[in-house]
Amino acid sequence: MADYKEAPLASRPKTLDPNEYFNLSLEYRRAEEQRSAMRSNLKLQYQTQLNNPHRKALIEDPALNRWMYARSHTYPHFKATFKTSLTGLLFSVVPIIGFYYLFKTDRDKKEADIKAGKCDRRFALSS
Amino acid sequence: MAGVGFRRWAQALSRGKGSGLSALLPGCRAASGGSKADLPSSYPLTPEAKAAAAKKYNMRVEDYKPYPNQGEGYGDYPKLPDKSQQERDPWYQWDHPDLRRNWGEPMHWNFDMFTRNRVDTSPSSMSWSSMCKTMFGFIGFMMFMFYVGEQFPSYQPVAPKQYPYNNLYLENGGDPEKAPEEVVNYKI
Repeated sequence: MADYKEAPLASRPKTLDPNEYFNLSLEYRRAEEQRSAMRSNLKLQYQTQLNNPHRKALIEDPALNRWMYARSHTYPHFKATFKTSLTGLLFSVVPIIGFYYLFKTDRDKKEADIKAGKCDRRFALSS
Repeated sequence: MAGVGFRRWAQALSRGKGSGLSALLPGCRAASGGSKADLPSSYPLTPEAKAAAAKKYNMRVEDYKPYPNQGEGYGDYPKLPDKSQQERDPWYQWDHPDLRRNWGEPMHWNFDMFTRNRVDTSPSSMSWSSMCKTMFGFIGFMMFMFYVGEQFPSYQPVAPKQYPYNNLYLENGGDPEKAPEEVVNYKI
């Protein structure tokens, strides 16, 4: 067990982490105890609601609600800094203008070629 | 009875503030469900705000780390480690086993990306650099070789088809009386 190697595509499980068993500091133990206490409290809340025989509605998860709210209400926390403006430019303005320019020049060139009679369109059904 | 209620409602309406539909609705809500304080808000600036935010998200104050306040729209949402759900213990009794998540646990900002059907951050047998080098090396090599093949084409030699009988003079509608011109398609 001392020379345990992880499975090729898996991370080391927490229960096999040697730092969980050796050289433990008091702070680490206290931290783990606090986390465990929070987890147990949440589990208790969930199990109480789950096993309630009079429950007809679904169990609302406030963490899920917070996540959905945070993801959809990003605008109030948006600030136009250099980084965000650059991102906005690069991902919305540049592709539109760039693709417009590319397509326009390419198609104009093709149109000029067709008018000049340089294009071989014997079997072309769509172009 | 109804008349009294209607009169009182009309009085409240004329007295009250607000306009439109919101003036007609009662100005009170039920106490059930989550409150506004439970929802994410803006970046915590003071340590008290940080502690309150950590409590709100069911995290320890030491574990709670908001995203840097660079105006990218995160607010006070915690920055959790970028680990996919596939990396979590498969044998633990999760509340939602398919998502490998417990009820009430703070969700990663990109939780929908880190589900088990999607992005997986499990350790791989090859390092990222060697994977990149292998793939781009192979693609680059094949592109180079195809380019070289375009520059130096190599195929079986071809020529236009040669027909016997003076290029099929009679079959092509030549006059049988007239002598055709001799066509010689070979060279010795």
